[in-house]
Amino acid sequence: MAVGEGTWLVMGLLIALPFLLLALIGILWSVAYPVMLIWAVLFSGKKLDEQIADTNSREVSLRDSLGHDPLTTIDGGYRSDITSSGIVWAGVVFGPSHWHLLIGWFNNLIGGSIDTFQKIVSAGRAEAMQRLRENAIANGWDDVINVRIDTADMAPQGAKSSVKAVEVFAYGTGVKYGN
Amino acid sequence: MEQMVQGILVVNTETIPGMMITETLGVVSGSTVRAKNIGRDITQGLRNIMGGELVKYTELLEESRQEAIGRMVADAMSRGATAIVNVRFATSAVTAGAAELFAYGTAVKAE
Repeated sequence: MAVGEGTWLVMGLLIALPFLLLALIGILWSVAYPVMLIWAVLFSGKKLDEQIADTNSREVSLRDSLGHDPLTTIDGGYRSDITSSGIVWAGVVFGPSHWHLLIGWFNNLIGGSIDTFQKIVSAGRAEAMQRLRENAIANGWDDVINVRIDTADMAPQGAKSSVKAVEVFAYGTGVKYGN
Repeated sequence: MEQMVQGILVVNTETIPGMMITETLGVVSGSTVRAKNIGRDITQGLRNIMGGELVKYTELLEESRQEAIGRMVADAMSRGATAIVNVRFATSAVTAGAAELFAYGTAVKAE
């Protein structure tokens, strides 16, 4: 019967639809990925340098306006005129581009220090520390004492993951001085 | 990030500047496991090709950290503490998609 055939066709299409969509995403990905990789090869180094310059300029301008760096790692021996205190934190998830991963992989073959990754991780760390300063100032703290910095891998070893990134997390105790 | 989290003073120093610790009430902790949703995974995966900051993940971890601290504070409140000193944080990735955030400290009575 013609009607029966039609319904079977519709049902078949409905069942196949998720798979078709998946295939479409796969095709789009295989086309888009090389384009994005070329984009990364051309611009990721520049982007990283801009990021470092931006963090640095914010840090310098904040330090100039305060006259000193608000962050210290000491615990104890602080000034006796502290009136209030409280925790303050800032985190940033930061990753190398796939181009940098490729460079890092080649560096790995030769051995020695991998400057690319060092640059990326320290850029992330500088950004996290700068955000800690900004958070502390925004919350009305004068200084941050006992600053600790944690770095956690977002893509653990052995896990198959598309994302390669580290989380840098900085925290400390904000203090306010009563003059 | 106010100075008091739900009425409890939270610091990561061993003592509270300007206050006296009268009693310690043990270790309090709070943790949370957060998974990213698949939409975020795809967009952040694309962003990762270019490198740099993954803003959505930063936000996700920020929210989760708030939650972990909230749980730690609730634990301290149930013990009748007024402050938590020497707070430490730990992060571990359970799988690639889920991160566990853990906050712990010593609950104290301070005045």
